[in-house]
Amino acid sequence: MTDTPTVNADATEIHGDGRPVIELTGVDKLFGSFQALTNINMRVGEREVVVVIGPSGSGKSTLIRCINRLEKHDRGTIIVDGITLSNDVRNIQEIRRETGMVFQSFNLFPHLTVLDNITLAPRQVRNVPKGEAEERAMELLERVKIPEQARKYPGQLSGGQQQRVAIARSLAMNPKVILFDEPTSALDPEMIKEVLDTMKSLANEGMTMICVTHEMGFAREVADRVVFMADGQIVEVGTPEHFFESPREERTQLFLSQIL
Amino acid sequence: MTDTPKTAGEGVYLGTDITLALAARDEAPLHSDTTPGKWVKDNLFNSVMNSIITVVLGVAVIFLLTRAAQWVISEEWRIIQVNLRNFMVGQFPRDELWRLWWSAYVLIVGIGGGVGALAHNAEDDAREKGLEYKRSSWLDLLRRFWPVLAFVALMTSFARTWLPYVGVLVALALVVAARTAGWAMPAPVRARAVQFMAVAIVVSTVILAGTSGLVAIVAGLVAYFAVASETSRRFEGSDARSTLLRQLAPIVVGVAVWFVLDAVAVDGFGWEDWGGLHLTLFATVVGISTGMPLGILLAVGRRSELPVIKGFCVLFIEFVRGVPLISLLLFSSFILPLLFPLSVAVPETLTRAMIVITLFSAAYIAEIVRGGLQAVPQGQTEAAQASGMSAAKIQRLIVMPQALRAVIPAMVGQFISLLKDTSLIATIGVAEFFQYSAISNAQPEFLGKEKQIVTYSIVAIGYWAFAYTMSKESRRLEAQLGVGER
Repeated sequence: MTDTPTVNADATEIHGDGRPVIELTGVDKLFGSFQALTNINMRVGEREVVVVIGPSGSGKSTLIRCINRLEKHDRGTIIVDGITLSNDVRNIQEIRRETGMVFQSFNLFPHLTVLDNITLAPRQVRNVPKGEAEERAMELLERVKIPEQARKYPGQLSGGQQQRVAIARSLAMNPKVILFDEPTSALDPEMIKEVLDTMKSLANEGMTMICVTHEMGFAREVADRVVFMADGQIVEVGTPEHFFESPREERTQLFLSQIL
Repeated sequence: MTDTPKTAGEGVYLGTDITLALAARDEAPLHSDTTPGKWVKDNLFNSVMNSIITVVLGVAVIFLLTRAAQWVISEEWRIIQVNLRNFMVGQFPRDELWRLWWSAYVLIVGIGGGVGALAHNAEDDAREKGLEYKRSSWLDLLRRFWPVLAFVALMTSFARTWLPYVGVLVALALVVAARTAGWAMPAPVRARAVQFMAVAIVVSTVILAGTSGLVAIVAGLVAYFAVASETSRRFEGSDARSTLLRQLAPIVVGVAVWFVLDAVAVDGFGWEDWGGLHLTLFATVVGISTGMPLGILLAVGRRSELPVIKGFCVLFIEFVRGVPLISLLLFSSFILPLLFPLSVAVPETLTRAMIVITLFSAAYIAEIVRGGLQAVPQGQTEAAQASGMSAAKIQRLIVMPQALRAVIPAMVGQFISLLKDTSLIATIGVAEFFQYSAISNAQPEFLGKEKQIVTYSIVAIGYWAFAYTMSKESRRLEAQLGVGER
C-alpha cells in the first residue's frame, strides 16, 4: 500500500499495483442541454473495488453506463482493458463482452429459465457449446448459492435470488470488470444482505468492480476507494477510512451527514 | 413459503399469496352444501323483481328454443344437400376431388404426428425442469376442438352418398393413429417433429396442386429451415468447420430441392377452380402464415433508426390500413392487370387476391407487433446489450418472444377478422364459402323459395366454428405461456 491516496479529488490514482482496466479521461455527457457528466477523469485498476456514491441525479449511474456504451458520452476517451471505446459496433461489442453489468431492476429475461438466462450470452456471443455453458452456469449458481433454482423462471424467485442470478449471468462471460448499478436499491431490506454478501465474496476473490450504491456499510468494508460525485462531477476520492472519518469537501460532509 | 409446483401446461406463477388463494378456491366445492333447489332460490328467485325477470326471460327462452326446433324439423334442407360440394370445395373439378382428400390425409398425418411428438417432448422437457406436466387426454382435445368437429359432423350429415362419411371417419382415425404414433416415437425422432410437419405440408401441397414453380420455392425454403435447424443442433461451437457447415448446408440443400422440384414440375394444378370453405380456410392460412413474418419485419422496420427503412414501413402500413380491403382487392383485380406490360403474364386473379390479403394482414399485424415491442421494458434490451449480444440476436431472442407473447389476444383477434374478411374476395368473382349461400339461393330450383335463412345460417355456423376454436386456442396459449406473468 505504497501509494494509498488520501482524500482528494483525483480519481486516477489506482489503489494497489494493478494495471488500469478502465480509464476515463475528460469524459462529458449531455442529455440535451443538461450536463450529466463534466470532465470525469478516473482509472480503475485490476482487482480494485471502486464504490461510487453521491446524491441522486449526480451522474453515478450515467458514469458507469457510459463505460459499456449504454449511454454515449459526448467528449473525452474511455478505455476498457486496452480497447478505446468508439462508435464502431464491433468495438462496442468487444468492450461489452469484457464488462459485466448488474442492474437495479435485475433485468433477467422473464421468458427464459435461470439456467438459460445465464447460458444465453456465452452460447450466442462466444458460441460455447450448450453442455459446457450449462456446466459453467451451474458452477456460477453454486457460487451465488442458489444451484437449486436453475430450472425455475425468474418470476418464481425472490428479489434477492433474482439479483444473485443476475450476478451469475454477468459472470458467465468471464468479464474483466463488473459494473454494479445500485444492485440493492430495488430489494426488500431482508434480501439486501444476501446480495451484498455475494458481492463481497466476489471482491475477495479479486474481481474488479465499480459499484454505484447507497450501502455505506458495504463501501466501508469492501471498497478500495470511494468516489463521491455531485452534479456530474467527481468531488472527492479517498480510501473508506479517510472518506468516512475525515471528508474534506463541504459537499461531501453535507451528504454524509444526511445519510449516516 | 409453500412449494407450489409450477404446471408446465398452465405456466402461471402468481406469488405465494395468490397461489394459495387460488388453490383454496379450486379446492372449495363450487356450491358447498347447495342443492339445486336452493341454488335456484338463491340466484333466480331471491327478490320479487328477480323472480319476475326470471319468469319473463324463461318464457322467452323456451319460446325461442321451441320455434328454432320447429324450424329445424320442418325446414327443407335440400338446398344444402344439393350444394354440399359447392359449399365445401367450390368448383374444384369433381374428378380431381381425390386430391383434396389425400392432401388432407397427408396433412393430418403430418400435423397429428408432429403434435403428438411435440407434446411428448414438452413432457420430457417439463420433467427435466422438475415441473408438473398435464397431459392432454382425448377428452381435452374434444373440448378444445368440438366446434369444428361438430361443424364437420353437421356438414357430413347433409351428404347423399357414403363417400364423405368414410372420408371423415378415415380422417378421424388418422388423427388418432398419427398422434399416438408421434407420441410413441423414440426421442431422437421426436426431436425432428417440426421437420416432419414441414415435409408433410409440402407433400400435401404437391398432391393438391401438382409441382408448380411456387411449390418448388416453398419446398426449397422448408428444406432450408429444416436443414438449418438440424445443423445448428449437430455442429455447435465456433470452429471454422462447424460454422461453415452450419451456414452452407441449409443453403445447398434448399437450392437443390428447389432446382429438382422446379425441373420435374409438371404443370401445376392451378387454383382457378378453387372455392368454397376450402378456399376460405386456405386464404386465411396463407394470410396468417405469410402476413405474420412480413408484419414482424414491418414492425421492426418501423422502429428502425434508418429514415429510409422507417419511412417505407410507415408509408406502407399507413397506406394499407387507410384503405378498405375491398378497394385493394378491386384494384388488384381490375387495375393491376392494366399496369402489366403485354409481354409479362399477369398472375391469376386468385394469386393477386392472395398477395393483397397477405399485404393487408401484414400491415395490421405490424401495428399489433409494434405495440408488443413497446411493452417490452428497455431494461431487457440493455441487459442483453451489456452482455455483448448483437442487435439482431437481441431482437430475435429477447425482445420479440416477449413482445409476441404480450399480443397473443390482439393477434388472434386479427386472425379471426382475416377469416371473415376473406369473404370479400367474392367481390372479384371468386366464389368462396360465403358466396355460395348467394349462389345456391339464386339457383333455378331454389329461386324465390326464400331459402336464404337456411344457407346463411349454415355459413354462419361454419365461420363461427372456426373463429370460436381459434379464440379458445388463443386463450389456452395465453395461459400456457403465462401472459401477464413476469
